[in-house]
Amino acid sequence: MSHDNSSPDFLQHHFHDVDQQYETAKLGMWAFILTEVLTFGGLFVAYVVYRSWYPEMFVGANLLLDVNKGLLNTIVLITSSLTMVLAVWAIQQKKQKLSLFMLIATFLFAFMFLGIKYLEYSHKFEVGQLPGEYYSYMGPEVAHLNNPHIFFSIYFIMTGLHGLHVAIGMGLIAWLIYATAKGNLHSKYYTPMEMIGIFWHLVDLIWIYLFPLFYLI
Amino acid sequence: MSEHHITPLKTYLVIAGALFCLTAITVWVSYFDFGSLNIIIAMGVATFKATLVALFFMHLLWDDKKNLTMFIMSLMFLGIFITITLLDTGFRGGVNPEVEYPINKRAAFYDSLPLTDTHGNPVDEHGTDSHEGDEDHH
Repeated sequence: MSHDNSSPDFLQHHFHDVDQQYETAKLGMWAFILTEVLTFGGLFVAYVVYRSWYPEMFVGANLLLDVNKGLLNTIVLITSSLTMVLAVWAIQQKKQKLSLFMLIATFLFAFMFLGIKYLEYSHKFEVGQLPGEYYSYMGPEVAHLNNPHIFFSIYFIMTGLHGLHVAIGMGLIAWLIYATAKGNLHSKYYTPMEMIGIFWHLVDLIWIYLFPLFYLI
Repeated sequence: MSEHHITPLKTYLVIAGALFCLTAITVWVSYFDFGSLNIIIAMGVATFKATLVALFFMHLLWDDKKNLTMFIMSLMFLGIFITITLLDTGFRGGVNPEVEYPINKRAAFYDSLPLTDTHGNPVDEHGTDSHEGDEDHH
C-alpha cells in the first residue's frame, strides 16, 4: 500500500482510525442482527402459541415433511457456514485465491439449499399441503388432525422468510466474489466479508431452530 | 490492535465437526419417544448448536463484549415476547368460567324451532282442542 498506515485509502474521513471504523461497522451489523432476531421472533411466537393450542396436530403434521430433505439442507447450510468462515480466515492470512474459492463454494451450497427447498415446496404444492384456505390435502395421515392448514401456514411463512434470507445472502456473496476477485478486499480491509459472514451465520443459526421445530418434533 | 484475532483453522474444523455430530444426534434421538421431553431435548441440542455458531463462527467469543451483549439482549426481548404472549393465549379459557365449566352441559336453546308440548308434539298456538286425544296414547 502506498499510503502510510495512519490513513489507508479504505479509511473514511469521519472515522478516527481503521480499528474504529471496523468496530463501528461491526456494532451496526449486530444492531441489524438484533432486528433480525426480533423479526423471526414474531414468527417463533406464532409457532409457540399455535403449538400450545394444537399440540397433537403439530405432532401429526410434522410427519408430512420429508426429514431426509430437511437433514440434507441442514448439512448443506452448516457446510456453507464453514466455507464462509474459512473465506474470512483465508483473506486474513493474505490467501486471496483460497478465500475466493471458499466464497464460490458458499455460493454453490446456498444454491443447493434453495434447490432442495424448491423440491420440497413443489411436492407440497402438488398434493395441496398449503397455507390457510389453499390447503386441500385430505390424506389418511391428516384425517384425525385438527386444522393442519395452520401448521402449513406457519411452515411456509417461516421457511419462506428464511429462504428469502438465503437468496439475499447469495446476492451479497456474489458481490463478495466480485470484490475479492477484483482485489478490493484484502488482509487489511475485509470488513464487508466479515459482516456478510455474520449475516450468513445468522441464516444458519435460524435454520438450526427451524429444522427440529418443523421436521423432528 | 490493528491486527484482528485470527482463529486457528483447527478450531473451525472442530466446531463444524461438532455441529454435524449434534445434527446426527438430534435426528437419531427424534426416532425415540420421550413424551414431553422430546421438545426439551430437541431445543436443548439446537441451542447448544446455536451457541457454537454464535461464539465461534460469528466470532463473538473474541469480539468486543458489547456485540455479545446486544445479541443476548435480542434473545431476552424474544423471551419476554414469548412469555407475555403465552400468559394471554394460555389462559383464555379461564376468563369466562361458564365457558370452561358449563353449568349444565345438556342445556340448549330451541328458540328458532316450533313450540312443542312435553311429548314433543307440535303445539297449535291458537287452537285449544288439538291435544284432547293425548291420553289415549298411554
